[in-house]
Amino acid sequence: MGLRDVFITGAGEFLPGSPVPNARIEDVIGRVNGRSSWIGARALRWNGVQTRHYAFDSAGRATHSNASMCAEAVRAAVGDAGLQARDLTYLAAATTQGDLLVPGHAAQVQADLGVGPLEIASFQSVCGSAVMAAKAAWLNVRAGEHQTAAACAGEFSSRWFRPSFYEGTALIDGKGRLRPEADYLRFTLSDGAGAVIMEPRPRPEGPSLKVDWMEVVSLAHQFPPCMWAGGAPDAPDARQGWSLAGPVAGHAAGSVALLQDFDLLKRIIRAWIGVYLQRVDEGRIRPAEVDHLLCHYSARSIRREIVSLLEATDGMIPEERWFSVLSEVGNVGSASIWVMLSRLLRSGRVKPGDRLLCIVPESGRALVGFMMLEAV
Amino acid sequence: MQASDRGSTAETLRRLTVAFGEFEGLLDQTPLIRRLTGGRFELSHYQAFLVAHRQQVKDGALWMARAASNIDVGHMELRSLLLKHAVTEHRDFRLLEDDYAATGGDRRVIETAEPGVGSEALSAWMFHEASRPNPFGLLGAMWIIEGLGSIKAAEWGRLVMKRLGLPGDAVRFLTYHGENDAEHIEEFRGMLDMVLPDPAVADRIVKCARVTARLYALQVEEITA
Repeated sequence: MGLRDVFITGAGEFLPGSPVPNARIEDVIGRVNGRSSWIGARALRWNGVQTRHYAFDSAGRATHSNASMCAEAVRAAVGDAGLQARDLTYLAAATTQGDLLVPGHAAQVQADLGVGPLEIASFQSVCGSAVMAAKAAWLNVRAGEHQTAAACAGEFSSRWFRPSFYEGTALIDGKGRLRPEADYLRFTLSDGAGAVIMEPRPRPEGPSLKVDWMEVVSLAHQFPPCMWAGGAPDAPDARQGWSLAGPVAGHAAGSVALLQDFDLLKRIIRAWIGVYLQRVDEGRIRPAEVDHLLCHYSARSIRREIVSLLEATDGMIPEERWFSVLSEVGNVGSASIWVMLSRLLRSGRVKPGDRLLCIVPESGRALVGFMMLEAV
Repeated sequence: MQASDRGSTAETLRRLTVAFGEFEGLLDQTPLIRRLTGGRFELSHYQAFLVAHRQQVKDGALWMARAASNIDVGHMELRSLLLKHAVTEHRDFRLLEDDYAATGGDRRVIETAEPGVGSEALSAWMFHEASRPNPFGLLGAMWIIEGLGSIKAAEWGRLVMKRLGLPGDAVRFLTYHGENDAEHIEEFRGMLDMVLPDPAVADRIVKCARVTARLYALQVEEITA
């Protein structure tokens, strides 16, 4: 059998609980050493998020697991496709951090979904893991190995943001404040899951998206880690990480926390733009032909210089074609792209023949994923 | 099919941006920059960096002036701009010497240092290119070298100060650059508009950017201390 065309025939999302406004973030994730954050407001101005969701209730009890949120998103996506979970033969699951260190995330999602036997695959990276899982699902259907595949992605980031992860560790400075590399992410990331269904034919009703191509480009050979957990704050090096130091010493050293290197992030943004412009130059991405751009970085968070550069190089996709729900749903990491796609499809804005470009930048160690889709 | 015409300013700027990205990748993999970003950077490394750059900075204004002298009367505006640039920059190597002295180094060392193999190659290439009639390819070299000044230098300067705890007056060469990037792109686009659209010129500009990037990275790669 030759290679088949593959279509996204359903998309779904799951966001736990009710939206949490900026003023209530610390009521849910907690206050480190009982004090309000001093950089939270700045982080929120930069990322532009207004409301987000957390899988904790007001008493601080977890309402979901990462896997159960993913299972809910897969149920929503199969429902959207007019199918049932038992129709799936393949499940690819992506996340930054699964519920357990072992076994893999996909096994946990499948167990929560309660269907099988299935072929599964787990993808662990950061935001880009969503594209890795999607590419596996796409190629499996394309090659004729599977008829109905799901790709899901989920995050339960807020687990990491509770005070006990930081208090009494090297992440607290002399004045009792949390280091900005850690605190910034507490106001940036939140919880949720998303999923898509892929089949070798469009669905009978409603828009389907033909997958044109997908690509994941990693520049890890050029950059040290930019967002990490498990390594010491000043040296994200495996030799000094929690897994060798042990859990107690690792925690004290500040290794059991999610951290972001801001200076490095600026360099990585330039590298992402470089990869993007290279695709434009090769003719693989034609900005003028993109009807909807989905990217979980807001246009406002990209510096003016970068926008000028994109404009000067005919690489800019006009801002009115950017579709984003970042400000309402927050940055749900790997799940962001599917939440955006699912909402775009429901918005009624997609017309047959429209081209959708999904860009999934991952700061982890400088990676960017692309998906080009065409509405049918 | 491309988003813009072959040899246009936008297409050339795009190819140059990609080339600059490759250049950053080359630099980030040199032993010296790995030390700087990885935390094993000592005063002797910084001093070696200053010494290695002096020759190239000193030559910069000279090749620009030579290039200007080879530009024909059809491109007087570009000639004026290059001459202005040359005047602005021809004393910049003194900054390197002052920085070197401010770190406690002996001025005579930096003033009399023998250029390294990478510096020789870079310099020879610049003068060779500048000696051709209408050496528009050098705009590509300027993109790389000025990009380094406006993007990388400030980043490196901050890291050098942080790692070595040096005062600001020992890192002036690296930190006085870093002007507004957007303005830098706008001005550069104006220069490209003076010689483009022209597919052959565009190819030469991009080629020249790549060669310059490679030789510059070689110069940094060679720095040992």
